[in-house]
Amino acid sequence: MKLLDITLEIFRYKPGQQPHYDTFTVQVEDTAHVIDAIDKVWAEQDHTLTFRRACHHSSCGSCALRINGVEKLPCITRFSEVGDGKIPLRLDPLRNFPIVSDLVVDVSGFFQRMSASDMSITRDAESTLPLSVDDLGSIVQPKAVQLPDNLSHFNRFENCIECGICMSACPTMAVDNKFMGPAGLAAIYCALQKTDDPDEKAHLMALANGEHGIWRCHSAFECTEACPQAVDPAGKIMALRREITANRLMKTRRG
Amino acid sequence: MATLEQPKVRRAGRWFDVRHRKLGMWAYALNRITGIGLVVYLYLHLVVLSTLTRGPGAWDAFVSLARQPYFLVLDVILLAGILIHGLNGLRLAHTSFIEAKRQKVLFSALMLVAVVALSAAALKIFGG
Repeated sequence: MKLLDITLEIFRYKPGQQPHYDTFTVQVEDTAHVIDAIDKVWAEQDHTLTFRRACHHSSCGSCALRINGVEKLPCITRFSEVGDGKIPLRLDPLRNFPIVSDLVVDVSGFFQRMSASDMSITRDAESTLPLSVDDLGSIVQPKAVQLPDNLSHFNRFENCIECGICMSACPTMAVDNKFMGPAGLAAIYCALQKTDDPDEKAHLMALANGEHGIWRCHSAFECTEACPQAVDPAGKIMALRREITANRLMKTRRG
Repeated sequence: MATLEQPKVRRAGRWFDVRHRKLGMWAYALNRITGIGLVVYLYLHLVVLSTLTRGPGAWDAFVSLARQPYFLVLDVILLAGILIHGLNGLRLAHTSFIEAKRQKVLFSALMLVAVVALSAAALKIFGG
């Protein structure tokens, strides 16, 4: 194991102050992740540095930021992936969110979109698990469960860790604050696959087909590229376009 | 809560920021640039056509200007904009209504078509 001297240029902003970058050099192991260096900066050099982190293994999505301009989860990003250690790493907060302090952004807009897409509580059952809860109490052969036929349409969305990276990567989000955004639209697609309620379907379709819905996406596919969980939001947006267009054609044919 | 947000005009600069981004972002930026360029061209075209209202002399003077080599370069740039925007539009239609998995391959192939067509057109324009 080797020790590396890592230099970080970190975006700094506090309310009432001019934004700027501060440079810090810390020593970390060569197998360390970027979040480890940020932790060290806070612990050893500057207690006023604000950033988010919790799980350290890409489950919570709270540490998402930009490393050299690209959206990443620093908890799973090793230094070897983002540079040679000679050039300082530049750390910025996510784009398209209001900046609260240093690397911390206000993610409430993200969760408002998820809530509008009926995605705030979706796990009423874990239908994808091969064991039911009752099986866990005794050692038995795993029981195969019948998976829904259309599982592939939505199960990838269950991987969304709500990190906000897709919204930061989306260039359209930059100028349309009301755009539902990649995660919001992918959530609508997922919710549509799960409901048979005609009223809810109509509500979700109207949201997707609205002024700030799927037609505002201009197919940069950056959300899908940046997503650390392979949710493929752009693919879901395109699928929604097909579904909405097909519905419209059906209605036109029926008169 | 006091937060920091850039003005909308500055944020629009992100449409063209392709640094560290993937091919889809290049397609997005090219579509925006060529789209804005074609809208500007449309208005210039209308202004040029309005010279017809000033009689045949004014129009002939413009036509002789339009045959100058440096003006022909503008024709090639216009054609590049039309080809890139139009072919990229096919990519958008394909990803929106057929399938979205192969958007990068599609973009590369269509841009190759644009380069070949533009080269042939440039030879024709300058070769007479």
